[in-house]
Amino acid sequence: MAGSFYSVQSSQEVVVTGWGCVSPLGGNTESTWSRLIAGEGARAPISCIPVEGCRVVEGAEAVMPKIDWLPKKSVSRLSRAARLALPAAREAMVDAGILGSDGRSVFSRLEMSLSTTANGMELGEAFLQGVWAGNTRQQSSRVSRYPAQQQVADLQQSLGFSGPAMVVSNACASGANAIGHAADLVRGGFANIVLAGGFEALCELVYCGFDCLQALAPDDCRPFDANRRGLMLGEGAAFLVIESAVHAAARGAKIKGRIIGYGHTTDTHHITQPDPTGGPLEICIRRALDQAGLQHSAIGHINAHGTGTPFNDSAEAAAFARVFTENSPPRLVSTKAAIGHTLGAAGTLEAVFSLLALQTRRIPPQIKTTTPIPEVAGWLAQPGEVLEKPVVLSVNLGFGGSNAALLLAAV
Amino acid sequence: MREPISILAVGVSCPGGSDPALLEAAWSSRQVAQITNPAITREVATIDLAAEPFNRWRMRPRLRRASPLSHHLIEAVAQILESRPDIDPSRVGLVGAFFIGCLVYSVRFYKGLTTDGRRFASPILFPETVVNTPLSHVVSELKIGGPVYSQTGDTSCWSTALRTAALWLANGDVEHVIVVGGEEFDPVFLDVMQSARWFASQPETGVAEGAGAILLGKKSPDALAQIHRIADGFSFRNRAQASVAAETLVGEFDPSLPFADTARNWTRPAVAKALSGRNLSNACGESNFEAFAATCAWNTIRAVRSADSRLVVPFWGLSQQMGAIEISR
Repeated sequence: MAGSFYSVQSSQEVVVTGWGCVSPLGGNTESTWSRLIAGEGARAPISCIPVEGCRVVEGAEAVMPKIDWLPKKSVSRLSRAARLALPAAREAMVDAGILGSDGRSVFSRLEMSLSTTANGMELGEAFLQGVWAGNTRQQSSRVSRYPAQQQVADLQQSLGFSGPAMVVSNACASGANAIGHAADLVRGGFANIVLAGGFEALCELVYCGFDCLQALAPDDCRPFDANRRGLMLGEGAAFLVIESAVHAAARGAKIKGRIIGYGHTTDTHHITQPDPTGGPLEICIRRALDQAGLQHSAIGHINAHGTGTPFNDSAEAAAFARVFTENSPPRLVSTKAAIGHTLGAAGTLEAVFSLLALQTRRIPPQIKTTTPIPEVAGWLAQPGEVLEKPVVLSVNLGFGGSNAALLLAAV
Repeated sequence: MREPISILAVGVSCPGGSDPALLEAAWSSRQVAQITNPAITREVATIDLAAEPFNRWRMRPRLRRASPLSHHLIEAVAQILESRPDIDPSRVGLVGAFFIGCLVYSVRFYKGLTTDGRRFASPILFPETVVNTPLSHVVSELKIGGPVYSQTGDTSCWSTALRTAALWLANGDVEHVIVVGGEEFDPVFLDVMQSARWFASQPETGVAEGAGAILLGKKSPDALAQIHRIADGFSFRNRAQASVAAETLVGEFDPSLPFADTARNWTRPAVAKALSGRNLSNACGESNFEAFAATCAWNTIRAVRSADSRLVVPFWGLSQQMGAIEISR
């Protein structure tokens, strides 16, 4: 079995040499993965932001790691988003062997491809509250640490490098876009190595936004369940070191996975609802397959977007049902039932989970879903399932019609 | 970049109007609306969305509730597609560059939930606060079918967006890419500028809104100009780092090339030092209004329209990174 598992060859030479994450299940990859595989969930009352008065007051707060390698004063200035991003990025760089013993990048210029949707929003909110209250104290630090480029600067300054940084904000597809863009940069010869990542912190504005849309599940998030009632918001960060196979080999890096396909499309059906036919997502998946030069039958597992909202899951399932027509469809899971929907970080966290599935050949079980919708009935991963094929599809959809699909492969 | 890419068309949405020639007029005519905040007063140049030509978008069903930024962007992008009917929009990519993003509706939405109560937050406003919603409107209305990225960052994210377009062209993802930089104005931004002390080095500078767009394709004989090089990602966070970043960026280009004189903010002393001994070009003109990512787009368009045959257009950034492009006519 192991022979056939590792038999897929690809013309692409974009590899992953390290990853790290912070999630509601753990402050690093190991703790997150062990709890995810065990079928645990992180839903709990929200305490890090004010949610009193909302219809729903639960979600998935991240396990915040200690940032003990920076002075306390520096840490106190960081946005919550930066506090999530820094440990995840550092773990990825250590994993890839590109963080020196001095805690600084071994590459003085290291390109980044990043994703977020809300930046350091809690600082922006505090700034507005201050403006409306006529309070001028601390306003400078609040407003200057809010924008996305400040989280970029936090990463560069604390981990010791500079270089181009692209921050894509394509709503909930952003994370997959950031990874796909990094792969494009390497594939196009624009960069040899890229630190790709996504980060998102819970904040009042976004939480209340989803609450007012009545998109939050009043109880458990149940992806692809006939009785699903909405999503669970979460927060977190994940980073991957992506490079050309040649570059990785030249520096003696261990290759841990490959990015073999990337597709992205824009669905113009509606700002907040996907095309119910799943057509644009189907095209997106087929583009990723085309780039990889693969048939859909090579895919053994899908890490779905699976928000648990009525509109998303039905459109997504419709797309999957049209792409995967054989009798043994890929094993399907939405890890959002466990860690929540982390918006701009979702695609990066789910890519790390996909790579871990390839590395360990273990698929996280679908939790909370008890009555699967007919399109994917029998597809959902159960506890203890083994990955039988060497390719995983990770899919994300977002407001504004953003769709993105990544194909990840074993070494 | 392995080979130059062409600028094939431009589009403008600015306080002076929608003709690229009005970029110059907009600065001199100063169509100024005086905005007074309890703390500060600044000159502001805004766009009247009820006036021609901008009002042509107002009654489109999808745009009736859309943010001002959406209107600025669609006008600039539409001009490009209207000027090049030979190009199929369904095969065009789109990259947006934003420093501020959807500020107007974000402030309005947050104000609503903090004053009326969280349960009464507006489900109509919230989707319009999402960063990629404006480009989603543009894509939907103009039937653009290629890849779409909304990119955020320092004002210099314009050069990062150009690099994304160059990547898509080099990888063969699409044959044409429109890059659009845009901003919208909300009075609270004056408080932002004041609090961050960005006004201190620009006491006479007002704030503007609008968008600028350029159509990029592979090297073509009918090009308005060619982009020969995109230098991006020279990071800084303080004055000392800004000096190093500026010197490094300037050193990337042939010493004989003139630099467009675009430095306006607190980085100006560092930039002046880095550019000492270099020829400066007035290709981007003088302006007393700052529109951030839109200004970077406008500076590029003004450089394309200038008499200079070859020059560097720098984007000095405001707080994090610098970039520049080398263009020729």
